[in-house]
Amino acid sequence: MSKVEGLPKFKTREAVDFVIIGSGAAGGVLAKELSGNGFNVVVLEQGLYRTAADFKHDEIKVMFQNELMNHPGWNDPQTFRNTESKIAKVSQGGAPPALYARGVGGSSVHFTANYWRFHQSDFKERSLLGPMEGTGFADWPVSYEELEPYYTKVEWECGVSGQPGPFEAPRSRPYPVPPLPVKSSGVLFEQGARAMGLHPQPAPMAILSKPHNGRPACIHCGFCMGFGCEANAKSSTLASMIPLAEATGRCEIRPLSTVFRIETDASGRASEVVYLDAAGQEQAQKAKAVILSANGAETPRLLFLSESARSPNGLANSSGIVGKYLMGNGHSVTHAAFEHPLNEFKSVQVTRIVHDFYENDPARGFYGGGGMDARPYLDSTPIMYALEGLPPGKPRWGKEYKQLLRHYFTRKMSVLGSTTSVPLASNNITLDPNLKDDKGRPVIRMTYMDHADDLAMATFLQDRAVEILSAAGAKEIWREPVEGETVLAHLLGTCRMGNDPATSVVDKYHRAHDVPNLFICDGSSFVSSGRGQPTMTIQALAFRAAEHISRFARRNEI
Amino acid sequence: MTTRVNSRRDFLKTGSTVFGTSWIALNMPLALAAGQAAGQNMQAAAAFENITAREAVVLGAIADQVIPVDESPSASEIGVVHFIDVVLGGFMAGNAPLLRQGLEDLDTRSKLIDSDQKGFAELSFEQQKKLLRSVEDTPFFDTFHFMTICGMFCMPEYGGNREHAGWDLLGFNHQHAWQPPFGYYDAAVHDAGAEGGKTDEQG
Repeated sequence: MSKVEGLPKFKTREAVDFVIIGSGAAGGVLAKELSGNGFNVVVLEQGLYRTAADFKHDEIKVMFQNELMNHPGWNDPQTFRNTESKIAKVSQGGAPPALYARGVGGSSVHFTANYWRFHQSDFKERSLLGPMEGTGFADWPVSYEELEPYYTKVEWECGVSGQPGPFEAPRSRPYPVPPLPVKSSGVLFEQGARAMGLHPQPAPMAILSKPHNGRPACIHCGFCMGFGCEANAKSSTLASMIPLAEATGRCEIRPLSTVFRIETDASGRASEVVYLDAAGQEQAQKAKAVILSANGAETPRLLFLSESARSPNGLANSSGIVGKYLMGNGHSVTHAAFEHPLNEFKSVQVTRIVHDFYENDPARGFYGGGGMDARPYLDSTPIMYALEGLPPGKPRWGKEYKQLLRHYFTRKMSVLGSTTSVPLASNNITLDPNLKDDKGRPVIRMTYMDHADDLAMATFLQDRAVEILSAAGAKEIWREPVEGETVLAHLLGTCRMGNDPATSVVDKYHRAHDVPNLFICDGSSFVSSGRGQPTMTIQALAFRAAEHISRFARRNEI
Repeated sequence: MTTRVNSRRDFLKTGSTVFGTSWIALNMPLALAAGQAAGQNMQAAAAFENITAREAVVLGAIADQVIPVDESPSASEIGVVHFIDVVLGGFMAGNAPLLRQGLEDLDTRSKLIDSDQKGFAELSFEQQKKLLRSVEDTPFFDTFHFMTICGMFCMPEYGGNREHAGWDLLGFNHQHAWQPPFGYYDAAVHDAGAEGGKTDEQG
């Protein structure tokens, strides 16, 4: 729980200026900006309010019991299918199809913290490349130039380590702190990539290499991807934004508060947000405006759950596209072993990236682009490594297995390729018609199959990874099969932005076309997927949205 | 030995076959203090809370097939049986019936191999190995394998990974802070006193 003294306690029956649903990458930024601009803000977060001291190196709890991802109060499963003609099946244990953290700070607490800016082209590929039949391929209603000041705000206010790369779009300010120290995987990846004539660069990471904004530098403990940061060096909103929001004295964070619906009044405006509080009591917080930042799966779910006689297909869904155009980014994974120890279990996941294949290239024969990075991936922690880290065809028990475990752990690295996702209406989040959670809410149903171009791009990047690793002198290289994603950590596109209310859910200021005092700002706002690292852009959108929403509120235009 | 498709996504997808199956099981608080005690009382005969002494012997024999003794300790010496005892009272309680059935099945099969013996634990190392190969693709073995690996490489508070012997096997040094150089290939870069980003500026 927060240690800040004198935090406000707003009354549920008196309308606050804003209720923000979700305290993650977007919600945390909006809470800080709006409270900083003088507005009273209540943040409803379904998870716990953990702090750095609560984060441990406990692989069993974090990786196998999903401690940071489970609903803290009850069973809330999800279902998955790869095509709409199938009945979705429940996913229990393991990783859920829509993979996100619950808790103050949301998924920014457990993310890997790759912070690539989008390129100018990401916002206007439909204009640049022409239409793609049968898809939702479209331009954004905002440009890189409009978003640039807010990318800079993310880098300086949240805290991003890096140095400008050879392919990135113009920037108005350098990074606040230099790149994190290069790891052996980064050195090898850089050597191999240069030998291939490519242009590797230090990875921009939302992890501090030097103290910044009163927060400490990374201690290189190695428990980053999937874990919370015990040092407050990872720039989650929990570490960077929430303390500033609370320091205004105008922001109340309510953890363990799960929203069930957004109520609308007779005029169709959002009036209050109904939720179960930490004690299991139903509450309804009145608000002048509601901001939905619950992530690209929970956000459409809440809109569907908020259906009414006026909005029978879900709130803000007159277009019928809420939940559609889900994009998760395609991936390919390539492993390699080297002669000497790399010790990839130390420090952050990624220190070098390659963006030579970022832009679409007609010569490839398919749409798409992507980025590559060097990292330990799931082999940075011992149990995950021992279960699945050896090359294919090796024994998984016995004397030889033990000897192989000894050999590979320190000598392995991986290259991850991340790609575009073509927006498809058939990839979506809906309410499962057959399954409810323990509190009677229909659960999240994900329907997802990567477009053939996404898989082709992932394979293309894997081919390049093999070349790079080979040029770097790898002793062994092996590929994980490129196949359709079944677990999405990036939940994008399900309430897309646009100027036309018939083909989008929110306008360019994140205001719902149908509901004047409802704003939706998180990964769901995306029109295209970028190249695999969306959080930087989610936060830039949130900073920009906060500025415009504040302007509307001051002018009484909400 | 079995050959498996090396896909982390397979693992993520099929996790449910080896984890506790319900939210309640997954969220059952695990008594880490009890695990610690189990780790400390490894030599004591009555250290087990959730398994019988006989089950402990058989579990230890199978665990030592997964991670046998060589120049470093075997799984049972590292505390894997104590780990299993702890988690069967916690988040893997739901797996107990599958585990017990598998142990009984192994004892039954063992008597077919050598009717003079009491069961699996009394077979020779080579006989045990051969018998396990015949069940290595079963849910029982998958579950047992998962528990053994967790017991080998978990935080020692769970009763396994005694004196960090599991981590030592891998070369995983568990400390809370590191400084560069981290490995062989970045040593030269950091020895040259270069800052994080500045490695190799050609090109």
